[in-house]
Amino acid sequence: MTPESNKPKMHRKDVIVRCAADVFLPLACMFGCYVVFHGSSSPGGGFQGGVLIASAILLVFLGHGGSQVKDSFSSRLLHSSETIAEIMYVVIALLGVFTGLNFCFNFVFAGFEMETSILMNDAVGYHVMAGITCLLILMLGVLDPEEEGGDTPSDGKEDVSK
Amino acid sequence: MENFPILAIMTLFVCAFIVSLVGRRNAVVRNVVVTIAVTVPLVMMLCLIPTVFIDGETIVYWLGNWAPEADWAIGICLEVDGLSLFFGLVVTVAVFVSGLYSFTYMNHDDSLVNYYTLFLMLSGSVLGLVLSGDLFNIFVMIEIMTFTAVALTAFRNTYEGALEGAFKYLAVGSLGSTCVLLGVAMLYSQLHTLNLAQVAALLSSQGTNPVTIAAFAFLFIGFGSKAFLFPFQPLAADAHAVAPASISLMISGVLTKCGVYGIIRLVYVLYQNYDQPIVQYLVTGFGAISMFVCVTMAFNQHNFKRLLAFHSISQVGYVITAVGLGSILGVGAGLYHAMNHTIFKGLLFLTAGAVQHQTGSLDLDRLGGLGKRMPKTCLLFLIGAASISGLPPFNGFASKWMIYQAAFLHGVTTGNFYFIFICVVALITSVLTLASFIKVAQSVFFGQLPEEYKDVEEVPLTMRLPMWVLAILCILTGLFPDFIQEKLLTPAVNAVFNVVGYIDTAMGTGYAAASGVTAAGIEGIAVTGTWSPTSWLMLLFCITCAVAIVFLLASPDDKQKGFPVSSADETAQPLDAKYEPFFSGEEAVYSQVGGSDLFWGFKHSWRRYFHFMHDWHSGIVNDYALYGAVAIAFVLLFCIVLL
Repeated sequence: MTPESNKPKMHRKDVIVRCAADVFLPLACMFGCYVVFHGSSSPGGGFQGGVLIASAILLVFLGHGGSQVKDSFSSRLLHSSETIAEIMYVVIALLGVFTGLNFCFNFVFAGFEMETSILMNDAVGYHVMAGITCLLILMLGVLDPEEEGGDTPSDGKEDVSK
Repeated sequence: MENFPILAIMTLFVCAFIVSLVGRRNAVVRNVVVTIAVTVPLVMMLCLIPTVFIDGETIVYWLGNWAPEADWAIGICLEVDGLSLFFGLVVTVAVFVSGLYSFTYMNHDDSLVNYYTLFLMLSGSVLGLVLSGDLFNIFVMIEIMTFTAVALTAFRNTYEGALEGAFKYLAVGSLGSTCVLLGVAMLYSQLHTLNLAQVAALLSSQGTNPVTIAAFAFLFIGFGSKAFLFPFQPLAADAHAVAPASISLMISGVLTKCGVYGIIRLVYVLYQNYDQPIVQYLVTGFGAISMFVCVTMAFNQHNFKRLLAFHSISQVGYVITAVGLGSILGVGAGLYHAMNHTIFKGLLFLTAGAVQHQTGSLDLDRLGGLGKRMPKTCLLFLIGAASISGLPPFNGFASKWMIYQAAFLHGVTTGNFYFIFICVVALITSVLTLASFIKVAQSVFFGQLPEEYKDVEEVPLTMRLPMWVLAILCILTGLFPDFIQEKLLTPAVNAVFNVVGYIDTAMGTGYAAASGVTAAGIEGIAVTGTWSPTSWLMLLFCITCAVAIVFLLASPDDKQKGFPVSSADETAQPLDAKYEPFFSGEEAVYSQVGGSDLFWGFKHSWRRYFHFMHDWHSGIVNDYALYGAVAIAFVLLFCIVLL
């Protein structure tokens, strides 16, 4: 699970912390997904759920340290995901226009209890998950400078764009 | 057709996201997407002209088909009347020009994907603001606008003061946004609706109470801060000096117009209190103070873009002054000047950007003689400078003339000396504007060419083309004021006064009458106050001849006075340095022909005032926030006590 660390400073975390992180990681993701998917008909929604899923990265950091975070998450991919989620949201909203109705019209599950907003919630959840994870990677880089190397200041311009 | 408003806004936002997705790898794809993004909204706005301007209709678009039910407008709507479309056109033209200019202008910079993403989001938010029919949406758009503008101000973060300027803008700009939010919240607590049309109707039927008046004060100062009116003007200067020129165009030409649009909507549509003298004093007062203080501050700047920034606020002051008069002519003049300001100030910022792109400097004391090296840019600058100074036959004169006329006429009809005083202030401001542009022309384009700029070349055609678009617009809008009035201003002014139509289109026919909104709109308002360009050109020619004769008759000794003999020489400095404390605290290293020395006599006799203003613009963000807080307190007290 933990890679053979080539840095002498870095030592494996306590087994209890690691196990707890491993146990709670899927739970956090699951609960986050639940909040996202259920957001249109209950308290919660894309933003809250997305943040819950993004908290998974904190569990990885706590259980396995900064180098593992760097190995498992690609901030480039996350950045693209964020953009894709934004485009998804607008396209779902625009579908209303293309079906001859108004922007943001609730058309997909017309007549059902569900609404188009459930799709929008998913897009928001995806977006927030990717965005907050990106931010957390930046912040964790600051917390752990000797493990992340000189990675921290170079991304300063990136977070301006959010 | 009825989907065009939302599609125009969404094109900009979607393209912003697409740019950040695909533009990272391929610059050509990125530029194509940006070109599409800036062209499509312009075309869509132009397509709306027949419906909105010529047929005089108001387009209402309910998002998600959430039309009002039982007379309560719960849904979000876009409402495009003549006023919105007028500002929509101004915004899209400025975005179009700025986008095209960026391609070449920004080629020295990296992370351009972030630049274009932010730029398109800024454009989208501004367009969303002027087309929105919902108060809270306006607030959301103001927030997007402020934050993207702050990020773009700091985009060239290697510049000295870039982060500082952006931080000031962020801190004090947030103060303004918070005011808007407070105003919106207060209105919502009283009226339980956020729809502009319904707010207007309910304010009319329920009358005002102290809470709605406080909301008025907060909204006024919030929108005023977005237009950088009087106590907020140092922010604009700091932001403009460091922002890329294409963004300066956006901040001065587009963002300030959002503040103007907000104030017009607030005073004429929402509260309809434009005919109350107290409101007129408040709005024109802020406008007049802004235009005078900023033009005198501009007089003393040593940075090209800082100078333009102060002029920008000065011209917005003109617009606000005219709008605050509450007369038909006043609104027409204000809208005309708002449009012209976007055009000529955009042109001037782009020429400043061209100078910066080729020489790498904006320091008026170091530049000089560039007219020989960059003659085409020089010509474009002179067109812009003549327009902003109000020289015939350019557009600045046409609109300024209308403003003088509107102010004077209002003073005469109400018998109030205050408005005649305002008219005089506007005239003096115009003279000072001309004076400081003579200074800029002398410092940058004429005079002696410094050794280090011997090899400066003309900017490429891709940068000149956007400037020419604006220059031609300057000339056309100046030469055909009648056409502009008939086709653009009259529909927009009609829309401003047609509150009944605005409410009825959104809420259903008869709602306005039921709420007691009376039809103030006069059908077919003819905005008068035109002028004859040719005869004024003749007059100007005669005056120029007279001045030239006086100058030629003067003795040779007089001409030499105050000009350093040898420019490249450091020993020439003491000649200028003796006046330096009167302009600003900065030390001039080198001043070639004394461009900033031209009006030393004037500066000397006003030295107390300039010292005071110099100390007042301390550059400390705490001070600026304090000025903002004082302004909020003043407007709040003023409105609650007197309204």
